[in-house]
Amino acid sequence: MKSSVRICCSGLSRDGVSLRLLLLSFFVSCVGLLYAQQVKVLSASELKRLSMEELINVEVTSVSRMPQKLTEVASAVQVISGADIHRSGATNVPDALRLLTNLQVAQLSASAWIISARGFNTIFANKLLVMIDGRSIYTPLFGGVIWELQNVVLEDIDRIEVISGPGGTLWGANAVNGVINIITKKAQDTQGTYIAATAGTFVKDMAEVRHGGRIGPKLFYRVYGLHFDRAPTIRPNGEDNTDAWRMSQAGFRLDWSSTPVNNFTVQGDFYNGRRRTQGFPSDNNGQNILARWRHTFSPRSSMALQVYYDRYFRDDIPSNASDEMKTYDVDFQLSFPVRKKHRFLTGIAYRLAKDHAQFLTPLVGILPPKKDLVRYSGFIQDEITLTDSLRLTLGTKVQQHFYAGFDLQPSARLAWTFRNKSTIWSAVSRAIRTASRFDVDYFIPVTPQPPTVASVAGGPNFVSETLVAYELGYRLQPTAFTSFSVAAFYNVYGDVYSVEALPGTLTYQIQNGSEGTTWGVELSGSGKVSNQWRWRAGYTYFEKNLYAKPGHNFNPDYLGNDAKNQFMFHSIFDISRKWHFDVTARYLDYLPQTLATARVKGYVEMDARMSLDLKPFEISLVGQNLLQNRHTEFGTLAIPRSMYAKIACRF
Amino acid sequence: MPANAQLQVTREATIKAVFLFNFTQFVEWPAAAHGSASSPFVIGILGDDPFGAYLDETIAGEKVATHPLMVKRYREAKEVRGCHILFINAKLLEQKDLLSSLSGRSMLTVSDAKNFTRLGGMIRLATENNKIKLEINAAAARDEKLLISSKLLRIATIFDPPDYQR
Repeated sequence: MKSSVRICCSGLSRDGVSLRLLLLSFFVSCVGLLYAQQVKVLSASELKRLSMEELINVEVTSVSRMPQKLTEVASAVQVISGADIHRSGATNVPDALRLLTNLQVAQLSASAWIISARGFNTIFANKLLVMIDGRSIYTPLFGGVIWELQNVVLEDIDRIEVISGPGGTLWGANAVNGVINIITKKAQDTQGTYIAATAGTFVKDMAEVRHGGRIGPKLFYRVYGLHFDRAPTIRPNGEDNTDAWRMSQAGFRLDWSSTPVNNFTVQGDFYNGRRRTQGFPSDNNGQNILARWRHTFSPRSSMALQVYYDRYFRDDIPSNASDEMKTYDVDFQLSFPVRKKHRFLTGIAYRLAKDHAQFLTPLVGILPPKKDLVRYSGFIQDEITLTDSLRLTLGTKVQQHFYAGFDLQPSARLAWTFRNKSTIWSAVSRAIRTASRFDVDYFIPVTPQPPTVASVAGGPNFVSETLVAYELGYRLQPTAFTSFSVAAFYNVYGDVYSVEALPGTLTYQIQNGSEGTTWGVELSGSGKVSNQWRWRAGYTYFEKNLYAKPGHNFNPDYLGNDAKNQFMFHSIFDISRKWHFDVTARYLDYLPQTLATARVKGYVEMDARMSLDLKPFEISLVGQNLLQNRHTEFGTLAIPRSMYAKIACRF
Repeated sequence: MPANAQLQVTREATIKAVFLFNFTQFVEWPAAAHGSASSPFVIGILGDDPFGAYLDETIAGEKVATHPLMVKRYREAKEVRGCHILFINAKLLEQKDLLSSLSGRSMLTVSDAKNFTRLGGMIRLATENNKIKLEINAAAARDEKLLISSKLLRIATIFDPPDYQR
């Protein structure tokens, strides 16, 4: 046990970020497809009930390969639109994700966040599938997301969908506890120029520029650039931590509808950043490019072919480590009806991730430093319309993975929709978390040690963690602007991570020595007080019972710094046509102490945003974390109260 | 037409149809525009009809004050008679004097044609960023003694150049 403590603590003693390089897992998965329409298809009587303000905000089209009405989705999905993110004062993706309470978000240093759904919120946080426009962004090095590398111009986000739970067959291996799907607007929806400048205390400065235009009648483009500098967090003794950081990024997107049934998208980003770290600064950079072709055969039949390349490099000077990951991914999906009652969705995917994890110290290592991780996967699902209101979805994912071998992940989902407005749904699914490099190839130190000397010798026998999830939910959407959703889950986990000494030695190995159950309830809703005042809210309750399997010796508390209760309220208020006042308040319960991390007090925090719309300019003043001078969300570093002013121009 | 293009057109048209219906609530017609208390309130479509049965479905059973709503379809401008809201298919606006030939009858003219408000039309249903936005030529409506509610004007772009002349 001593040694596993050392793994964690050596990480925590640094700025928290190097933890990611110390404790990890890996999953790969396929492009998600579930495209929950935020505005459902409305009948005449439904459209007539909308106010004129609502009517001018109804989307004219919602094109996707698998359109599904939000009310009919048989999973615990919460969605926030780009417009509502704008009305929150969020400055980056993790800020925006705090607005969805089926996620637990904790900032642990200036540039590091851990984000999880349904528990297991640790530096591991390895049970989510996270995508930006179909490109998977969790790193196969440890199965989590390096959030500092995931920057998006928030103005160009169409919506963020978060599915808690295994989400379904089509989501793939890392979608054990949830899926985060960040979807940016199509180029045709970001026409014109957007320029914004921000200055503040925690976000010291930020500049964003985007220009969208068209080349001919069917080809649209946008190009963007962004840069920001962010201030350090605060150490327990009140001094500034050494973790200020900055990032510069640019990118583009092209959308071409050569014919109404053929849509092509090409998009890419590249970035360069630097974090201040103990000693010397640590640099990172990355590039990605993605191309997608969607072809529609008929309203119920379509295909999509997607390829992408993604590379990131991230240095961490304090841990003498760097990682370079190059990912090549090809994904093909096809949907087609069989008779009237069946709609099949099937897909195959290939992914090659070439990792180079380099440690410039003999004390810790990922061995061998270079490894090619290959994964083939496929899935098939059948959505069966049993009656007008009853739908059964059966499917399975199959996967052949470098570490895990062959895996089957079946699921069954039943949804009963009545009067087009509400749905009761239930699901049973099996999901797996395949091993990551950090589960299998992790060594402390890098040279073999005698059994009398404490050491960690990888996880040669580590197998996939398993989950069987039972879910029950209800969703109601009486109008486009009012919704209510409740989802309950009971999860049974097997073969969960542990670090244990081999009997009679001090040689630790990473094993599958934990198991247990988790359960909880997720509530979310939105509504309108008047034409000027809308709100969104969410509450999540979470409980767990994890323990060492018989014959094993590991304390699994360490696997999750999970809050029992969390609550969020988001108020969106138009004082007048020009003045807007928005508030988000959130409560997060305390995080219990574990053998590696300190107890974190429960906290209530609030952000407020006041903006003045002087077309084409928009001036806003935002206060973040206003209630306390500073508060801690994970570990020991504190996030200060902060303010920023922003001026934006759209023309 | 390819299936998905058809679907898009339909969805856009349904929203526009509901706008046409909503205008009955946000515009005031002079008393002279109505024959009697029970005379119908007419929404007319001039030229090809993009709404199909959807507009009829939208107004089915609805009334404006005491006037039952009715849809009429016209091929040509000279057929237009006793109409309160007239949706004009963009193709017909290529005829130069179309709008002036329709004036003097307190008719709310609506279209999705590009230069509609500039040509003297009253409300343009403009598709921008995948949403339907309103562009209103308030002066043209005033000339026809139509009173457009401030609620409608508030959410619209107003086309009201000082040099506007009928």
